[in-house]
Amino acid sequence: MKTMQFLILVTFVALVAGCATVAPNELVNARSAYRNASEGPAEQLAPAELHKAHEALVLAEQSFQKDPNSHKTKNLAYIAQRKSEQAGALGAMAADKASKDKANADFQKKQTEIVKQGKQDLSESEQRTAAAQAELDKSAAIKASKEKSDAELAASKEKSDAELAAVRASKEKSDAELQRQQAEAVKQGKQDLSDSEQRTADARAELAKLAAVKEEERGLVVTLSGGVLFRSAKSDLLSSAQVKLDQVAKALLAIRARNLIVEGHTDSQGSESYNQDLSQRRADTVRDYLVQRGYPADRIQARGKGKGSPIADNASPEGRANNRRVEIVIER
Amino acid sequence: MKHVSKIGIMVFAVAAVATAIVAGCAANVPLRTEASTSGIRAAEEAGAAKVPQASLHLQLAKEELELAKGLAAKGEKEQAASMLLRAEADAELAVVLSREDAERSEAQAAVARVRQLRQDNQ
Repeated sequence: MKTMQFLILVTFVALVAGCATVAPNELVNARSAYRNASEGPAEQLAPAELHKAHEALVLAEQSFQKDPNSHKTKNLAYIAQRKSEQAGALGAMAADKASKDKANADFQKKQTEIVKQGKQDLSESEQRTAAAQAELDKSAAIKASKEKSDAELAASKEKSDAELAAVRASKEKSDAELQRQQAEAVKQGKQDLSDSEQRTADARAELAKLAAVKEEERGLVVTLSGGVLFRSAKSDLLSSAQVKLDQVAKALLAIRARNLIVEGHTDSQGSESYNQDLSQRRADTVRDYLVQRGYPADRIQARGKGKGSPIADNASPEGRANNRRVEIVIER
Repeated sequence: MKHVSKIGIMVFAVAAVATAIVAGCAANVPLRTEASTSGIRAAEEAGAAKVPQASLHLQLAKEELELAKGLAAKGEKEQAASMLLRAEADAELAVVLSREDAERSEAQAAVARVRQLRQDNQ
């Protein structure tokens, strides 16, 4: 608005001056200074100072109209120029201040953003650090657990090795003991076998003195004459037979580990059933007597064979006498 | 009437004396340099001497003050008063230019500081 007024004033003055005289340098400078000030930020930011400059310029112009080349006109123009320059400087200063305030506000805002961002970054960093720490703790726990497991495994293995070694040592010892025992058993067995053979041989020799002894496939067969042991058709032992059986029993007791079969045999006289029964009873009598003398009952059997297994001809008295017999089979 | 005449004579006498006193004082009024002097001092305190443009106007104000004093001494009161107004205007302009320079420097520094902050935090 003031610029418009100024332009009108300048136009008016120019028209007048055109008809009159040329404006002094001070006034020309004042007009220029005011124009510069009014076109700058002063119009918005320093209107009061610009108004003062305008008033000063009006005074100068009025003085110029009255007395164009007077000192007063020049002085008023000079002052108007300075006030215009002052208004321009104040406008610039206000603009600078606005710029500074804006920059400071921007700085503050940016700084707040940076602090906020920094806090957020810090928070995220702390979270990442916490997560990493948790991961490290987890790894450490896993490692510790693994080390513990390894240690336990190693200890267990060491213990197992020790136990295995102990078992091996024990086994070796057991094996050695077994071998020793086996060797001893073998030795003992050999010894026992040898002793048994010796006792068998001794028993055979002893029995051979008492009765007929014969080696057969079924074993050693000791044959006792029936006439020596029993009366005719009887199954009771004669008293003389008991003495003989005592001797036989003594010889057999030396080999009591052997199984015995006592067989009764008759001649062909009489019925089959009679002879069978008689032979059985006689076999039982001999068996019982031997058991009574100490031979193990579970190792001795009694069988009546009747007349079915003659060893001589029943046609002659001698043959029949030989067939009436008791055989003690010492099994192999 | 006689009484009134005496009073009138007295009033006239007092008025005459007062007019004579006022007229005498007006003729011998000293040059009022306070405004110019304080303006120059304010410009110096504002640091005008360190700002080229402000320094120029400070110097002008000083010269104009001295010139005014010289004119006053020669009895050219009107010229002296006008010169004092010039000195005052230059001094005031020196003050404003000094402050404007400082304000501009601060604004530039603030802008640079923001720019640096943004650059450092891109």
